[in-house]
This record gives sequence, structure tokens and C-alpha cells, in this order.
Amino acid sequence: MEIFANTRPRAHGAILIGCVLLVVLVVAEEALRWSRAPSGTAPPLPSLHTVHAGPVTLTELSHTHIPAPHGMPSAHASTLTPLPGNRLLAFWWAGSRESGPDVKVFASTWANGAWSAPSMVVSRASLGAELGYGVRRIGNPVAWTDRDGRIHLYVVATGLGGWAAARIAHLVSRDHGKSFHVRRVLPTSPLFNTSALVRTAPLALSDGGWWLPVYFEIGNKYPMLMAFDAEGNPTSLARIGHSTSALQPSIVAVSKDEVRAVMRDDSNQQLVQHASSRDGGATWQDLPALDLPNYSTSVAAIRLSSGQFLMLHNHVEGGASARSLLRLSISQDMRTWRKIADIARGPAGDEFSYPSMEQVGDELHVTYTWQRQAIAHHRYRIRPEGATR
Amino acid sequence: MTLPDLASQILYGRLGWAIVFATVVCALWRGAAPIGRPALAAIMAAALALMALPGNLSPAWYLGLAFQYPSGLLVGCCVLRLFERWHGMRRSQAMPQTLAGLLAVAGTLLYLDAMGLMTRGFYYAGFGGSLAPIVAVAAAVACAFAIVRAQASNAARGPAMAILGAVALFSVLRLPTGNLWDALLDPLLFGWALVALVAGALRRSSRRASDQVTTTDTETVASTVLQPVAAERFSSLKEQVGGK
Repeated sequence: MEIFANTRPRAHGAILIGCVLLVVLVVAEEALRWSRAPSGTAPPLPSLHTVHAGPVTLTELSHTHIPAPHGMPSAHASTLTPLPGNRLLAFWWAGSRESGPDVKVFASTWANGAWSAPSMVVSRASLGAELGYGVRRIGNPVAWTDRDGRIHLYVVATGLGGWAAARIAHLVSRDHGKSFHVRRVLPTSPLFNTSALVRTAPLALSDGGWWLPVYFEIGNKYPMLMAFDAEGNPTSLARIGHSTSALQPSIVAVSKDEVRAVMRDDSNQQLVQHASSRDGGATWQDLPALDLPNYSTSVAAIRLSSGQFLMLHNHVEGGASARSLLRLSISQDMRTWRKIADIARGPAGDEFSYPSMEQVGDELHVTYTWQRQAIAHHRYRIRPEGATR
Repeated sequence: MTLPDLASQILYGRLGWAIVFATVVCALWRGAAPIGRPALAAIMAAALALMALPGNLSPAWYLGLAFQYPSGLLVGCCVLRLFERWHGMRRSQAMPQTLAGLLAVAGTLLYLDAMGLMTRGFYYAGFGGSLAPIVAVAAAVACAFAIVRAQASNAARGPAMAILGAVALFSVLRLPTGNLWDALLDPLLFGWALVALVAGALRRSSRRASDQVTTTDTETVASTVLQPVAAERFSSLKEQVGGK
């Protein structure tokens, strides 16, 4: 370049000094970060909290709908997170229709046996104002309460395009969900950071951090995992298995050394997909699909404090359509599942989908989308088998 | 994995998009033709003012909606192109063929992996606590060396400065996203690299074609010129003349 070719010795000296300073700055910053990073520690493992190990029975205590916001006929994709004092916080989106410009995320608190009136948490306008750029539509929320009581809310927020152009906004509340501020948009993809979504609940880690299940869905669909430290800062991102047709992973700790993911199936196999990791989520192996039908619907799985596993999934039998039968199943090993109850059942074409569940003390709380119009809530008592009270 | 805070990302987004926007406006308005310094300064000032507008009045609102943030290297290459225009240079070195080739290969692998067609986890490695910083430091040292050494072959100096700037932005502030890939590549820059490669290939093929035409013309001219000489050399007339 002639412009640089004509640089005089003085300018050349300035360029030399500038280069040296920049390199020193780069080396110093990276060295400082490296020296502060925890060294030689193994990645944190999922926390395993087991009390009263052994078989359990579930008895339904109540079922209701969470109060809907006024003038919002469409509701979908609920998520639950516990609050102190055996309370719960539910989040879901509601609006005139899916992807509508008026869709917002709402929250309601479960306390003393009743749900509070819904409150608006985030809209595309409020999110855009905090991010400094536009958000086209709002989608699935996922919530997590950290050990300091902060609530982390992850919300799907799309760029230019449909759900395939989705990004994940991370919001935090320090007042038990009364107010949220945006922390950042999670970086998940080199394609304008698009096509990453959340749906299923995070999993607690032994160091106070958690794993957030994520999935990619532009063309191919594959599950991912983003790890967070106890402060809510992302620490790593990894793909789950090699599948290109599994999404919405629900992750469960099976033992101290092993975690499993059960996933929605987008292939012609139409079975609940299954993967396993034995190195703290760093690498994953695809396992044979479970013997449970899945016509591309979301599943939810948790490990009870008794050590058994529960899964909510849309079963298909006897003329049911993909989402018209929502079943609760139990397993000792995450492979063989036994039906406990059909939570909701209707004629073909009905929709009882996108389930979530949370164990709070000796109660199991279940929420799911009811006919795309409301969020249903069921409550069960969990008792050791044989116990009378 | 260290990520930048949202405030610095917003500031970076506005500045970065202003620079990219001004570069595109200049290219659309004048192509490679020179632009006067007052006009260039006005374009840059207007771009900065537009991006600073609040909310959806700013083009940054829509650019962020679609593309989120430009990579540091895209911004660096645009700064370089504006610098070249400021100095009235018609021929740009903002995207030389070597850099375009590297970006095209890296981008192809990265995007195939991100689309799920491969499972190498290239993008995830860009957050890594060891490899990404080592690559950043190595790139910074290599670029600084290229800049200082580029007395004789100055074509490398501009792109090396752009890469060094992008790496410094990543290492010091972790902008734009905390991932080294996002500092050095984005789909817009990938597209620019592909266009530069295609344009370079077309230039080379048309040069070859014109060289062939020139060679053919030269041969034709040579044969036309030589023919009479040869004819003359072997002309029996000479002998006849010589025989006189």
C-alpha cells in the first residue's frame, strides 16, 4: 500500500511502539485472566440430593389453571422455579397468538395454596429497550433460582426471522421475581448468534452453578448444554451427542458420574431420544431411543429426592393425537418407564403439552399448556410406598 | 469463558455499525472512485449520528435485530477501507486474496459445524480458557511482526492492523461476544471474503485471457513482420539479384 510505503521513519517508529503496546496489552490481559482462572479443578458435577430412598406413591391433591392475564387468549410454555417458604414461581408466555407482537412473558406466585394474579415480566419492547436493538418476537421462558435466591430467567427472543432466528436473553431478579433486568444475550452460535432456544429446566451443580439445556433448530436440530457458575456467568457450551433431529433436552443426574438427557424427537423414528454423559457433561454419547412414542413434543424429566425418576410426556395410543394425552411415568433407571397417571386426556386434536415439574418438599407440582389457552397446574403428594399419611 | 457486559456491547454495536454503514454507503455511492475528504467526513459523521439515535429511530436497532454485532475484523477492515478512501486510494487492500482465502476456509468449517453438519465444536472452542487466549496472543504477535516488517511488502500491513485491532478488542474487553470466532469472523465478513475471492478469480482469468490475446496478437504481428523477411531471406529474387 502506497500510503504505508511512504511512511517516514518517525511514523514507522510510532507504528512500532503502537504494535508493541498492543501486543503487551493482549499478553497482559490474557495472562491476568489465566492466572485468576481456577486451576486443576475438575468440572462441577450435578448435585444429587437423596432423602427417603425407595419407591414412592403419588396422590393428586389439586388441579387448577393459573389465572390468565386479561385479554390474552393464547398461553404456552410454562416453567417453574422454587421460592423460599415452599412457594413457587411460574412463568409462561401469553398473547393474542404464538409469535404475535403482543406476546409477553408473565409470572404468577404459588403461595398458601393459591396462585397470585399474573404480572408482566418482559415484552419485546422492554427487552429491546434494554438490549439496544430490536426483538421481533418473544418465546419460551426458563427459570432458575440460584443458591443466593436470585432468579435467572432465560427468554427466547428472535431476531429477523421465525424461531430459527431465536436468541436467548438472560434476565436476573434480586427481589424474588418482582423485577428483572437484562444481563446479556447468551452467545450460542456464530450465525449472527441465532437459532438457539430454551425450553426445559436447568440442572443444579454441586458448586452452586447449573446447566441450562439449549437447542439449535435452523434446518438440523440438535441439543446443547450451557454451564453457569454460582454467580450466573456462563462457563462453557457443548453439544449433546451427534443427533441432528433431537431437541429440547431434559437433563437428569442418574449418579455421581452419569447424567442423561431425554429429548423431543424430530425424526421419523417418533420415539423419545436419549443421550448420556459420564464426564460432567463435556462429552455425550447418543443412546438407543426410549420405548416411548414422541411425535415431536416436549418432555420434562426430574430426579425425585427418593432417587426415582419422573417424566412427563405426550403418549400416543388408542386414537390419541400427538399432544392429546399427557402422561406421568416413573422409572428406577431412566430406561424402563411405568405409567403413574394420565395427567390430561382428550379427543384427538386436543393439546396438553410443554410440561414442567418441580418437587417442593413432599409435593410435586406439574404445569402444562392447556389447549393453547391457559396454563394448567396439578399438585401431588409424594409418599414413600406403604406410608399411610 | 469471560463475556463482555451489556453496556460495552451496546456501545461497541453502535460504533461498529456506524463504521460498517459508512463503508457501505461510500461503496454504493462511488464504487471504487475517490470521494473527497469533506464528503467522507460528512458520511462518517452522519453514520455516527444516525447510530446514536434512540430506540428504533436508529439503524443500529434494525442491524442489531438482524445481525446482532459486527465482528471486530469486519469493523477493522471497514476502518481500513475508509482510511484508504481518505487518502484517495482507488485500489483497496482491505480484503487481500490471502485473507479472503483464510476467512472463506475458516468460515465454511465453522458454519458447517454450527449448522450441525459436523460435530467438532469449533465455535465452543472460541470460548475456551486456554486455546482461544493462546491463539489470540499468537495472532497478535504475528500481526505486530507483519506490520513492523512490512516495509518492503506493504500490502500486508493494513489487514494485519485490522486483525491486531480485532484481537486486542477481544483480549482486552472480550468484545463483541466473548468468543474469539466472533472477533475474527461473521457471516457478513465471510460474504465479503467470498466476493473478494470470486472477483480475484475473475480478474485473474480476464488477465490471462487478455495475456493470451496479447500473445496471439504479438505472434500474429511477429509472423506478419517476419514473413516478408523470411520470404525475402529465401527469395530467389535475391539470388537472382545477387547473381547479377
